[in-house]
Amino acid sequence: MGMTLLSGIFASDAKISVVDSLLLAVIGIAIVFVVLIALMLIVTLVGKAFDGSEKLREQHPEWDEKISSVKSKMCFWKKEKKEEPEVIEPQPLASGACGELKLINTEERDAAMIMAIVADSTGVPLNELRFKSIKKAEDEEK
Amino acid sequence: MDIGQIPKNLWENSGFNRLGLAGGWQSLVMIIIALFFLWLGIKKKFEPLLLVGIAFGMLLTNLPAGDSDMIFHPEWWTGDAAVANGVDYLNVLQHGGLLDILYIGVKTGVYPCLIFIGVGAMTDFGPMLSRPSSMVLGAAAQGGIYLVLILAVATGMFTGGEASSISIIAGADGPTAIFLTKTLAPHLLAPIAVAAYSYMALIPLLQPPFMKLLTTKKERMTVMTSTRKVSKKEKIIFPILVTIIVSLLLPSVAPLLGSLMFGNLLKECGVTERLSDTAQNALMNIVTLFLGISVGATAIGTTFLTTKTLLIVVLGLSGFILATVCGLLIGKLLYVISKGKINPLIGSAGVSAVPMAARVSNTVGLQYNKGNYLLMHAMGPNVAGVIGSAVAAGFLLAVFG
Repeated sequence: MGMTLLSGIFASDAKISVVDSLLLAVIGIAIVFVVLIALMLIVTLVGKAFDGSEKLREQHPEWDEKISSVKSKMCFWKKEKKEEPEVIEPQPLASGACGELKLINTEERDAAMIMAIVADSTGVPLNELRFKSIKKAEDEEK
Repeated sequence: MDIGQIPKNLWENSGFNRLGLAGGWQSLVMIIIALFFLWLGIKKKFEPLLLVGIAFGMLLTNLPAGDSDMIFHPEWWTGDAAVANGVDYLNVLQHGGLLDILYIGVKTGVYPCLIFIGVGAMTDFGPMLSRPSSMVLGAAAQGGIYLVLILAVATGMFTGGEASSISIIAGADGPTAIFLTKTLAPHLLAPIAVAAYSYMALIPLLQPPFMKLLTTKKERMTVMTSTRKVSKKEKIIFPILVTIIVSLLLPSVAPLLGSLMFGNLLKECGVTERLSDTAQNALMNIVTLFLGISVGATAIGTTFLTTKTLLIVVLGLSGFILATVCGLLIGKLLYVISKGKINPLIGSAGVSAVPMAARVSNTVGLQYNKGNYLLMHAMGPNVAGVIGSAVAAGFLLAVFG
């Protein structure tokens, strides 16, 4: 609306007064703020809605089944090409206890990398290895 | 047939001879400037992807040639006939030189939009979505644009359209500057594009002194906590929402912002990886190539070597500084409002030069607190600044376009 009111007031090849430029500057920066604050509010609301729905799903895991059944009823066009779900044989887990891994001054990402390197260099699958703790060695000044 | 006439004609038609004619010294100066820009781009690595192209276009267009050999005809684009009756595209296609043909993409605003598709495909709006308040910083930094508008008008040397085009340099966004200038002041395209890209390359030198001047050591050491994780769905919804809302409010900016958001949607939706990859790499590179060389071609000695160009350089520099200051001041305000949770250094990243300005915030933050990585926090205002400068350009287009 503001744009419609303003357009045509100034020709691009005409000089404008400092007062006009001041007025334009005030309106211009106000519009930038209004647009970005409006986006901020919308983004905040969308974010809250997503966080809220996640929390609700965590609190009520039974809803997932209901939602999927409703979804399947709604997707009537998919009924025609009903396919047997592919049966995936569960892979046997490696024998050996999992236990807990103690990380001392080590980031989870670094620990994951170390475990992958050990598994690769020893040729033993990662789920057959057991790590008790990983500790970062302090650098010694020489 | 007079054989002796051949070398005489050859000499008269050569560029060497034309350098000695009227306007020849200006061409010579422009050739030297082009060589200097090539040195800056190649040796000093100042925005080389664009500056090398701009400098080479500048070099090509200033090598004197006869009318039939010219590769760019500025009068076809900004001459009185073009201003009065519009550009004669049929003539351009039939008789135009290489750079005339390439310049069609600038004049029609196609290149900036295509570049924005690539920029969108390379941008992660996640940091901004996880901390929506960073959008305020992106808006604040646009204050530089409007302050320069007032300054440019106050000089009394520029029309409203010219002042608007100069002011957008402060937005630190090359495609937006070109998009606005090609409509409001096409004759100033070269100095404005060169100033915009040169200052963007100088951000690591321009911003830190003001960041240190305007913030206290305590503020600079503020450690920002990590923010919420943004879901994939939110990232998909965002570009669609922005396109609808901003385009309804400012239709003039729809091509630019729509392209940015389209590129981002290609990246985030997860089903168009090939298109996203093309937008980020092949398309971006091809358009950057065409844009650089054709913008450089507009830097003709007779129109470039003027007092106005010098003023544009000074005003552009002021704009970058004012935008940084505006972002920092609102950053300080957010620091107070958030009770010390927001580091004001991220305010300077609102100037939208992505990701250079965010990197500068990170570097300055690290100088005062070695474990304080501000990069992801600064990316929020940084990408919000891109939207902010596009909105500012849309407003100026609506008023003067």
